Amino acid sequence: MDYFDEANNRSIFRKVAEKCYLPANALMLGLLNTYPDFRISYSISGVFLDQCRTYGPDVLESFQRLADTGKVEFLAETYYHSLSSLASPEEYCQQVKKHVQTIEELFGQTPSVFRNTELIYSNHIAHLARLMGFTGILAEGVDGLLAGRSPNHPFVPPKFRIPAEQETIIRRNRPPIRRSQNIHVLLKNYRLSDDVAFRFSDRSWNGYPLNAETFTDWVQRSGGHSVNLFMDYETFGEHQWADTGIFEFLATLSRIWQERGIRCETPSEVIRRWRKQKNEETYDVHAPISWADRERDLSAWKGNAIQNASFTSLYELETAVKALGDPAVLELWRKLQISDHLYYMCTKYWSDGDVHKYFSPYESPYEAYRRFSHAMHDLRYRLTNHE
Amino acid sequence: MFGWEYPPLHLGGLGVACRGLVRGLLKLDIKITLALPHAGSTDEGVSFLSPTETTFHSIKIASRLTPYDSEDDYAWRVHKLPADVRDIYGEDLGQSIEYFTASAVEMTKNTAPDIIHCHDWMTYDAGIRAKAFHRRPLVAHIHATELDRTNFRPNMWIYDRERRGFAAADRIIAVSNYTKGILVRHYGVPAEKVSVVHNGNAEDFCNLPDSVRWSVPRRKLPMVLFLGRLAIQKGIHQFLAMAAEVHRIRPDVEFVIAGSGSMVGELVEKSIALGLERCVIFAGKVDSNEAKTLYAQADCFVMPSLSEPFGLVALEAASYGTPVILSRQSGAGEVLNHAFKVDFWDTHKMADCVLTILRDDHLAHQLRSEIRNDLASLTWANQAGIVKSIYERTLSNNLTA
Repeated sequence: MDYFDEANNRSIFRKVAEKCYLPANALMLGLLNTYPDFRISYSISGVFLDQCRTYGPDVLESFQRLADTGKVEFLAETYYHSLSSLASPEEYCQQVKKHVQTIEELFGQTPSVFRNTELIYSNHIAHLARLMGFTGILAEGVDGLLAGRSPNHPFVPPKFRIPAEQETIIRRNRPPIRRSQNIHVLLKNYRLSDDVAFRFSDRSWNGYPLNAETFTDWVQRSGGHSVNLFMDYETFGEHQWADTGIFEFLATLSRIWQERGIRCETPSEVIRRWRKQKNEETYDVHAPISWADRERDLSAWKGNAIQNASFTSLYELETAVKALGDPAVLELWRKLQISDHLYYMCTKYWSDGDVHKYFSPYESPYEAYRRFSHAMHDLRYRLTNHE
Repeated sequence: MFGWEYPPLHLGGLGVACRGLVRGLLKLDIKITLALPHAGSTDEGVSFLSPTETTFHSIKIASRLTPYDSEDDYAWRVHKLPADVRDIYGEDLGQSIEYFTASAVEMTKNTAPDIIHCHDWMTYDAGIRAKAFHRRPLVAHIHATELDRTNFRPNMWIYDRERRGFAAADRIIAVSNYTKGILVRHYGVPAEKVSVVHNGNAEDFCNLPDSVRWSVPRRKLPMVLFLGRLAIQKGIHQFLAMAAEVHRIRPDVEFVIAGSGSMVGELVEKSIALGLERCVIFAGKVDSNEAKTLYAQADCFVMPSLSEPFGLVALEAASYGTPVILSRQSGAGEVLNHAFKVDFWDTHKMADCVLTILRDDHLAHQLRSEIRNDLASLTWANQAGIVKSIYERTLSNNLTA
């Protein structure tokens, strides 16, 4: 028995594939072939790639064709788009390892830069990524933490050692990539990223309508080592529909950048070029941050009692699930870790009808909890009544 | 303002809502003359009027009316009422209404109103007459339609009076979007003529301290509460079907059914047939203190109404921090976010929601604490402010028209 709505998943996947993945990938391929300095990198979860294999081999193939250009970088992340970094170092490493292996298998490259689920980041998470072997990690450029500094160059986390038993766990479970002594943090420039991702078609925004020339001016004025633009891929065709002109915007943008000599780089290229510099600045993040909502914290997933109870009861099962050794049960448990399940239970400014509502298949957070809680109880029942 | 009931002489939500609105408007310095079919209500700052022998001219008696579910039900209810309340509705409601309507102009001829506001169909004809006499705009407030009360099998005589009131009104105030939808779909009222003003929470339910829940004696067993008239409209059959399903999985759960109605015998038999004789408790009609104790004791309050224009009881239960499961066919669902909403016919899901709340403390706890935030802005002071702005707009439209 499964807990997931196959029919609904398929139809949503196909809808977004037609509106976004297929046309956007076709456009990207054209741009990569036309403009020598154009680059792009993707952070694609393992569960999405699973869905591609089941519902959209055409989508998977279009990503593979992009990989073949040699100008596209794939980042590592947790296979199950999970919050495991906050719960269990062992599970976290295993999911990253599984993801790295899948990227190698599908796209023929080994990721060297890591992006945690929903850009969740802390000093601790940075050091876990360093120990796993990554040379870079992405994070949100939060104003309060930057304290007036520009996000447009790589930073380093403060130096410290994580507990020895965690180091041992990582050594045992880390993905097979070359170890790195240092790790750099690339900060998302959220103002410029969100101009495209959120505000592009907003008629009440004073930047509307945004044209590629203006945006390029802003990027150039922003200056620094690199301007890190990071956004949902669904920005292209789904959040911003084709009729907003988002695809034309992207095409014009790459042409103007080529003309003005603005070079695109992938995250690992940005870090490699930076290594020649020596002045390092510290990005010090004690409490985890993310790219979600105004708060930029974990409250979208762990902000109320039902979310926290779900999170705790989920990871309480880790030992039992792994002791059972049944791959089907392990897969079910891992799919329940997909952070969206918790996101749908968010009640933060929910009454005002915000983005959480837009992305949820449920009519209310309580409905989301009821379904999730049933799956959890069923899973727990299976674990206790095995043998 | 023409009303039909006003506490302490009232039967249902209409009187409570009417008082809440009147008191809210008074605080906004609006002068109110309230015409009621009976004398005996008092409230500081309001002038009360009611028909007297001297205002009574010559009135033809209309045919007998059946304003509630059935003639039997009405007669049964009137029979059960205390004598003073029985006088509000009378042995013959039609007669009372004719009398009230005929007195409308005579009663109010010295009031010089800016606006005329009437509540539900019993007062609409009075409102129409007053409008013609005073030449002032008419606001028709709708708390419950005939379709809600009769499960969409209306008494046409009442339905026609409602329609006439809606047509004559310059502005209509509906207690929910749900009710507005009924007016638009089933009464042919243009949507732009209707404003929605949700009911406020009654004063004695506002801002209760957290401790109120724990100030009542706890019950030994988990308890699920129904509170309302025992009528088809209130979804009492659905409540029993839900109870049977919960009982199969959680035999320790008690179901308290508070309220009265002519269906009680039939419901007792049905609960026995479902094997629920040990866990369903028919509490009969409860007074407001008993109701408050039940709200505080309940682990879960279920309002499965087939068609509920608003549903004040859900707000009352919520005030006590009781987790609420509401019919989607209700107005209260529009203002209570931290609650489960199900279609009234989906008793399976209703049972599942009850079971989930009983099983998961974290969920119950969150529903308890959050639902009271939903109520924070839902006071009569706020809602009266909305009504006041509707008055102002209606008056200015009336000037330009």
